[in-house]
Formats: sequence, C-alpha cells, structure tokens
Amino acid sequence: MTRFNGRIRVVVVRAVVLLGAVLLCSPLLVFNSSARADDAPRRVLVLHAYNYTFPATSAAADGARERLLHGSSQKIELDAEYLDLVRFSEPGHEQLVANFLRDRYAKRRPDVVLVISGEGLPFVLKHRDAFAPGVPVVFIGISREVYEASRPPPDVTGHLVDSESNFDQMLALAEWLQPDARRLFVIAGTGPTDRRWQTTARRVIDRRARKFETTYLFELSYNALLAEVSRIPSDAIVIALTVLRDAAGKSFVPAEVAATLAGISKAPVYYPYFSALGNGVVGGYNETFEAMGRAGADIVREILDGKDPATIPARTNPERGYRVDYRALQRWRLSDSNLPPGTVVINKPLNIWDEHRNAVLTAIAAFALQTLFVAALLIQRRRRQHVETLLTESEERMTFTAASVNVGLWQFNRKTNELWATEHCRALFGLREDVELTRDTILGAIYAEDRDAAAFALRKVVKADEAATQDVRVVRADGPVRWVRVQMRSHPSDGEVPHLFNGIFVDITEQKAAEAEAGLQRQEVAHLMRVSVLGELSGAIAHEINQPLTAILSNAQTALYLLAKDSPDLAEVRDALNDIVHEDNRAGEVIQRLRGLLKKGEKSFEAIDLNDLITSTLSLLRSELIARGISVETELDGSLPETFGDPVQLQQILLNLFMNAMDAMIATPAAERCIAVSTKSAPSGAVEVRVKDHGTGMRPDQQARVFEPFFTTKERGLGLGLAICTTILQAHGGKLNLVNDPAGGAVALLTLPASEMLIAAQ
Amino acid sequence: MSNADATVFIVDDDAGVLKALTRLVNANGYRTQSFTSPQEFLAHHDGALPGCAVFDVGMPGLDGLALQEALGAPDAQRPVIFITGKGDVPTSVRAMKAGAIDFLTKPVSDKDLMAAIARAVDRDGDTRQRRAELASIEARLAMLTPREREVLGYVVAGRLNKQIAGELGTVEKTIKVHRGRMMEKMGVRTVADLVRMAQKAGVPLPQG
Repeated sequence: MTRFNGRIRVVVVRAVVLLGAVLLCSPLLVFNSSARADDAPRRVLVLHAYNYTFPATSAAADGARERLLHGSSQKIELDAEYLDLVRFSEPGHEQLVANFLRDRYAKRRPDVVLVISGEGLPFVLKHRDAFAPGVPVVFIGISREVYEASRPPPDVTGHLVDSESNFDQMLALAEWLQPDARRLFVIAGTGPTDRRWQTTARRVIDRRARKFETTYLFELSYNALLAEVSRIPSDAIVIALTVLRDAAGKSFVPAEVAATLAGISKAPVYYPYFSALGNGVVGGYNETFEAMGRAGADIVREILDGKDPATIPARTNPERGYRVDYRALQRWRLSDSNLPPGTVVINKPLNIWDEHRNAVLTAIAAFALQTLFVAALLIQRRRRQHVETLLTESEERMTFTAASVNVGLWQFNRKTNELWATEHCRALFGLREDVELTRDTILGAIYAEDRDAAAFALRKVVKADEAATQDVRVVRADGPVRWVRVQMRSHPSDGEVPHLFNGIFVDITEQKAAEAEAGLQRQEVAHLMRVSVLGELSGAIAHEINQPLTAILSNAQTALYLLAKDSPDLAEVRDALNDIVHEDNRAGEVIQRLRGLLKKGEKSFEAIDLNDLITSTLSLLRSELIARGISVETELDGSLPETFGDPVQLQQILLNLFMNAMDAMIATPAAERCIAVSTKSAPSGAVEVRVKDHGTGMRPDQQARVFEPFFTTKERGLGLGLAICTTILQAHGGKLNLVNDPAGGAVALLTLPASEMLIAAQ
Repeated sequence: MSNADATVFIVDDDAGVLKALTRLVNANGYRTQSFTSPQEFLAHHDGALPGCAVFDVGMPGLDGLALQEALGAPDAQRPVIFITGKGDVPTSVRAMKAGAIDFLTKPVSDKDLMAAIARAVDRDGDTRQRRAELASIEARLAMLTPREREVLGYVVAGRLNKQIAGELGTVEKTIKVHRGRMMEKMGVRTVADLVRMAQKAGVPLPQG
C-alpha cells in the first residue's frame, strides 16, 4: 500500500472510509488542489488561540511561518488572526470572532487553517463551517487528551503535545539532577489547561516507581502560591505547571509565573514548556515553540502538496528533548554531569568552540594538518637524523678504525682546491691543532725532495684515471722522520679530467724501518757471502797482489844494482822506477777491488758499464782460473748501454756466476774447461750478460730448486749464492735465468734494465 | 864461461813481472829472451844456445811444469828455474824431481834468483861440455873398424895382445897392428887415457 502514490491512495481511502456521502466533494477537492497548484498562491490562515503577547504562541507562529514561506516551491500567502480565547472568556466572544472571520474570509478562502495552540481546537471545530467550510485544519500544540476527547473529523489533524510523556521525562530529569531529593512539589493553576495538567501530574506521579513525599500546590491564589513556594526546602523538587488562572480567577502568563516562582524558590524549579527557559527555571522535557510551529507547517505543506488530511494522523514532534538552563543549574548547585545524554543546555558560557565552531574547526583542521605535516617532518627529520646518526656512527667507526691502524682518510677537489681529511691526518703529518688541514699545509709537512714525487703521482692519477701510491717523508717537529704512504684514486667523471680524488695516508714508518732492517740483513748476508767467496779465492787474490809485488821488487833491485855500478845506466833505472809505479798502481787496484767487495757500507746507485765490471771481476779471478786450468772467452758488446746499480752487488752476482761456472767444470776434461762470457743489448733495451760453462749442466730436479736458499749442488756450498743474486737483482729490476745448453753445460742469463729504461720508467 | 855467453829464457804470462825479471837478469849481464806464453817460447826456443830458463808455474794453457816436460829428458834439457806465486809443496817436489834447478816464491829476491841462474848456467855449461866430449869420443869410435872396436874392448878390459889373439883366433902380430891403428884413431897414447875415454862413452866391456 505504501507504494501507491498520493492520488491512488486518496481514492482508495475515500472509497472505503467516506462512502458515497462525500463523493461529490472529493473529486472537487482533488480537482481544486491540482488545479490551484498551478497558478494562484495557496492561502494558509493562521489562527492564534492567544494573542501575540504570549511568547509561546508567537514563537510557534514564527517557526511555522518560517517553514511555510521559505524552502517551499509553492507560493503561499499567510493570513493571521488572534482569537485570544483564554483572556476573553465571556460568552459572546466566540461568536463575535466567528462572525468576524466569516465576513472577513468569505471571499478569501484559505486552503488550510493552521491553529496555534490546542485551546483553539474547540472553537475551530464549532465554527469552521462559518469561515472555512471543508477546509482542512492543522493545529499546533494540542494535548493528546484534548485531541482524543474532541474526536475531530478526519480532515482535522496536527501536532500533538504529549503532556504525560513530557511530564514524566521532566520528572526523570529532576531525579537525575537531584538524586537525593525526597520531597516533590507540583504547582498548577485553575484554568482548563491548568486542570488538565493537574490530572496529568497526579496520574504520572502515581504511576512512577520512585515515590516522593509529594505536595500539590493546586487551587491556590497567586500570593498564597508565592508564600508556599518560598517555604519549600532547598533539597526538594519543584515542578511548576501552567498557571493560567489562579484560585482567585486572575489570569497569568504561565511562563512568567514559572519565572517568578523560580526566582523565589530555594529548591530547583522545573517547568514543562520551553517558554520559561532562561528565566530562572531549571528546564524540562519539551520542544521549542518554533519546532512546534515547524512541525505544524510540515503537515500543512503535506496537505498543500495534495495529500489527503484524513490520511495524516496527529503526531508528536520528533524534536522533543531535555532542555535546561545552565545558569539555573549553577544557581541550585546542580551538576551538569548528571544530565541525561543529549540534553540541550542553554546559557552555558560560550567557549570558543561554541562561538566560532567553523573557525575553530578550520583552525583545528589546519592545526591537525600542520600537526600531521610537522609530524611527517619530524618523522622525516627523525629518519634523517637516524640516517645521519648511522652515517656519523659509520664515519666514526671508519675514522676510528682508520686512526687505530694509523690511517688517515682524505678527499681532495682539484676544482675548488678543497681538502677533507680526518683528524688523524693531523697526527700523521705532525700538524698542530690550530693549523688548518689543507692541501698546502699537508704538502708543507712533506720533505721538499718528496713533494715533487707526490705531485707527480697525483698527475699520474689525473692522466691515467687510476690508483697511485707514493711514499713520502714527513718533517715532524716532535720527533724523527716519519714515512707516510699516500694512496690515491680519482673519481671517474664523464669526459672530463677527473677532479675529485680520495685516498688514504698510512703511517708506514715501522714498515720502512722493518724494510730497512731486512735490507740491512740482506746486505749483511750478501756481505758475508762476498767475504766467503773471497775467502775461497784468497789464494788467487794473493797471487794477484803478488804479481805486481814481484815486478816491483825485481825492478827496484835492478835499479839498485844498476846504480851501484860505476857508470849506471840511468835510462834503465828510470824505466825500472816507472814500472815500479805502474805495478804499484796495479796492486792498489786489486786491493781497491777487494776492499769494495769486503766493505759493508751503504748501497750506492750509479751508472755502470757492465763490460768493465766483467773484465774487472775476471781479473780478480784470473789466478784461480789459471789454477783450475779454465780459459775464459769473452765477447763483450762495445756499444752496450750503461745500466744503473750498485757496482759491488752486481760484481758479487758476476763473481757468483763465474764461480758457479768454474765449480761446474771440476769434472770436465782440462782441454774443454772454458767459460764463455758475452754481453749484448737485448731488443727490449735491457742489457744481457750470458755466462756459459762446459760443465755437466743441471739435472731437472736441481733446475727447479737452484734459486731456493740453502739449496746447493756443491760439496761445501752454503746454497745462498743464487738466492742472494735473486734478491739483489730484484732490487735492481733485473732477473736471472739458468738453463741447460743443449750443446752441454749450463747458461746463466742475467738481464738488467738499461739506464734509459730506468729513466723512462721514472 | 862468462855470463855474457849464457842466455836466460824467461816465460811469464804477467807482462809486468816478465819485464821486471828480464830487466833484472839483463842488468846482471846475461842475455835474455822473454816470452809471455809457453807456446811462444816453444816456438822460438833455440836449444843450442847455452843458458837456462825461468818459468812461471801458473800460466794459462800450459803451465811451467808441463813446459819443462816439453823440453825433454832431465839430463839433456836446459836447466829450469821455477818461480811461483803459491809455492805449494807438491808442485815444488814435482818440479825438483823433474830436474828443476830451483823453485822460487814470488816476490823473488835478486840474490836467490841470480844465484839460481848462476848455478843453472854452470850446470848447463857442464852439460854442454860433457856432451861435447862424448860427441868427439863417439866420432872417433865411429872411425874404428869392427875388429879395431873389438880390440879396443879387450884393451880396455886389460887383456894382453897374446890373450886378445887367442880370443880372436889370430896371431899376436895382427893384434898389434889393430891395436896401433885403434890407438891412433882414438887419439890416445896410453891405455889409461883410452880406458877413461871408453868409460865416458860408456863403451861396453867384453864378457868374461
């Protein structure tokens, strides 16, 4: 049924309920409403049961007017009349008003009559036909009892005030606010409405579960009422109902009476209507009169939209609720925390929320957004800080680790000339706290001779985009010379010359010291080996010195002999003396060579003619070679380039090779004992020395081990000769190969870089 | 024989030493021939020249001792003086056994060297004289007929002519003639001279 639209529903209801008696009217009505909807404004006649001085009815009328004139697509015209039925209660008054209305609205028929306040209902029911025959009636603020008692026709409907429910809820409110109250005072006047309230109050109070010591202050004169109320103890509940008329027959505006009573009562005063709220009463369960007006207006509009008033039952306003005055609560020391949920509190000092809700909301939204933003920023900041902390920690760990192993970290930007370096660099370069770490201060701490090398290494990195290492010495005021290894690497940059370098500084002083120590030990061993070799050769070497001594002695004796003659041959004497000088020099040279080989001193590094060195070494071995019946064939390249090195150490190598060759030929038949020594410049630019013997050669198992220390094939060898040769050669950038000659014997091939190569390499 | 008649051959591979030694020996009045290698010496050596040789022991190729051997048998060769830088005992013993006059250690004092050279030159003179005598005896012996040679043997053995005739199955008179010619060819008048000559030449005596 609910799915039917309005018109069908009207027809059905009509057919069933009204039967044929009203058949004639209803099509007209339907016709009227539909035809009138298109053109002329709809008329609503508003009848006030009271006059405009009653705030309640005025407020209700305002609410109705507001709802009817605004928010409706229909054009509505309002007419209003004050019936003032309560104040003018004498017999002829009703008829007077009815006639007035009849005359006035004879030509100006309303479409709906809206009656404000239930007091007007009996009048309208009685006189409607006079001024608005057949016009639907909607009333506002009629109590359920009155409505039901008057048994209105179907086209009279409206807004009900459920006094019983309102009273009940008001009492509940009082109980919430005054849970300890034991006494209840109920006040009402003597007018018809007042008496209805009396009945309602008694019924509701009797029905309630909680029992109060109840005093009904009914049927009192106004003054007596005031006197009674002023005596009510403060812990009681006072419910003021309407006093439209007192026992003395005097009329009152109930809201004003309630306000007066509230003013003199020591106990909280409750009032069922909204009208007294704000004038001293605590409040009650009610609806605003505006809301009543709106509720009635809504029904009017339903009817104007074509709905059959007979289908609209009278109904209560959904907008009812608890309404209290905050100031009254304060006055009677009632706690608003005891209020039931949903209570409307008026006169509560407005806080900023109430006053500027939107602004506050906006501000709160903005604040919330800001807070979110700030929170996001804070989170981000925290994350960043976390990452920064991690980074810092990581850097600290790295720096600490680096410093603990005596390493300084640095980065240099060539474009900006900016240097970043860890604090440890300061310690490495012996720079004071107040000295800034820059490229120049660090370079300044380096030995002047080493600065160029460091700069050279940096240039090399720039050019080749590769890593470089350079060891430099550091001048430190506080101690001995320190060695710092500079390791650097360039950051690759697209197409450009790299300008960002990073690297490390490592203190390698101890390493250098260890190297020096090892070097010293190597020198020591090398020296011992030389001494040992020379020891083996002592006989031969003695012979080498003996030869010139022999010549010297003979020459000297000859000279003496000649001079002893009567006519000495002075020319011969001079020759002899010259030879003595020559031979003496020769002996000196041998001694010189020996001294060189026997001395322990520092390594020297000088240009060397290997051919000379070979000749000199062979001359030292001459006697030994003769003694062993070994011949030497030399084939020395006259255009051999010079090489660089330590002459003593290189001679030691040659000595070793020659001695090995000699020792290899012990079992060789005398006629075949020959050592072939040749030099030549290799295609690579290196210098080669080839020493070939005619011995037995090396067995394969020996060949693999000849360079191992303490490996020897000789009966009395130490096995250190070739090991030392290798060490020396490594220091010279050379190498030594030992192979068997397919034709017999072994060949030692010694390669040394020519000085040009060394210069080029640097 | 004076120093001037003797030649001293000096071989040393060390030019300085060779020159100094040569100078010293020259200053003492000897002729000298000096060589820097044994091979050179062997190529130019004239064995007929009287004198001695001074060899360095340690020389490449052929050492002094080997060179000594190359000169021939000890009793026939030129006397050799060795000088050495080492002076080790085995080498010196070997050299002395091979007939070396002396084994001197460098540096050599002039007195030692000149004394050794003097002795060597003397010995060379003696050797040459003995060899000359022997050569003349052998030349005379070569002129004898076989029969005269037989007779010479018996005469030196002290047999009488009659005993010789008996041995040879002939008459005493024939033996006398052979004996006279033999004595004449040998250039001796007395049997004693003949015996001394025969001893020098080592003529074997007849059996019995």
